[in-house]
Amino acid sequence: MIKKEIFVTSAITENSVWKQILGICSALAVTNLMLNSLVMGLGVIFTLALSGFTISLLRKFIPKRIRMMIQTLIIASYVIIVDIFLKAYFPEISKALGPYVGLIITNCIIMGRAEAFAGKNDPLDSMIDGIGAGVGYTMVLLLISFFRELFGFGTLFGFQVLGEWWPKWSIMVMAPSAFFMLALLIWVIEGPLAKKRVN
Amino acid sequence: MEKGNRNFSDRRFYPVFFMIIISIFFIGLLATFYYFTYEKIENYRITNKKRDILDLFSIPISDLNSDFDDYIKEKRVNDQVYYIATRDSVILGYCYEINGEGLWGTIKALLVFDPEFKSLQGLEILEQNETPGLGGRITEKWFKDQFKDRDLVKNNKIISLQLVPEGEDNTGNKINQITGATSSSRAVVRLIDKEFAKIVQQRDLNYD
Repeated sequence: MIKKEIFVTSAITENSVWKQILGICSALAVTNLMLNSLVMGLGVIFTLALSGFTISLLRKFIPKRIRMMIQTLIIASYVIIVDIFLKAYFPEISKALGPYVGLIITNCIIMGRAEAFAGKNDPLDSMIDGIGAGVGYTMVLLLISFFRELFGFGTLFGFQVLGEWWPKWSIMVMAPSAFFMLALLIWVIEGPLAKKRVN
Repeated sequence: MEKGNRNFSDRRFYPVFFMIIISIFFIGLLATFYYFTYEKIENYRITNKKRDILDLFSIPISDLNSDFDDYIKEKRVNDQVYYIATRDSVILGYCYEINGEGLWGTIKALLVFDPEFKSLQGLEILEQNETPGLGGRITEKWFKDQFKDRDLVKNNKIISLQLVPEGEDNTGNKINQITGATSSSRAVVRLIDKEFAKIVQQRDLNYD
């Protein structure tokens, strides 16, 4: 498979969130602010890319029976690096994201890509696959957070967009709206495709 | 050579050996990364705390370290750390570093009281692990600003702060809670109440 195809497949065609319904816990949790979503997305891209690369590099040496322990160790190490990096260079964002950076470890997309792709393919391809999956995840996060932040706070990336006249929709800031928005997103993207498949 | 490698990886202790080697490698990587960033993280934490304390006392900052040394004195009673702010030998107030349970983890904060310990002059959140975008909003300015100039004692009686929904009247002892984050808002108020009760006891203040 050529590199571009790998990227497009993992980012769009087989998007982890709307196609495989993976990683939705964090997708629901951080999407009421665009900045948090962006930083979370970048953290996931970094972890996916490097964990994919490392797991692929070691795939011939990793004992099959303990491969998941090794994958978790590698993923956790990269997540801790992201956490330390944010604390050192972007302390305000680190403060705002709180425990969610650490919880990247539990993001199913990372383990999913390690099992489905990195364990069977070359390091460079695995890295591209990881970046693709991360970009796909970040796109979804940004799309959902765009509507939640805009309608919930009247802001985008913290900048006031809608004036004082806007009656802030509290529901958009709360957890249930994340479910509605994700369901709507899946419906809008997958609905026409499902119809096509039936026809 | 290839056969030897295969044999080695087939041995029973190979998974344990591999796990140990990879653990050592990644622990080493993390330790190195932490070593090179530790000073930056620690400096940020200390600088931030000094700035927060001066801001809470509304002391204008020209040079952070010298202003802090000029106005603030650190005191410690048992495990409790607190700071006294003075200007021209007049006490401006007391700042206490506190911590307590939030919804998901520990909340660390600074509380500033007037010299007579009758009102809360300000609140700053140092560390928290609340839900980002919901409980995490306890760090937002509008929420923290509500804790400025709040009477904690009236007619010699301790009065507790009370949470009301966002947008409602928040004068007197009423504080607007964060929509969708009642538990985190409650945790902050509970933390203040608990800490104030402790200070009253420590300082033998005769309130009812």
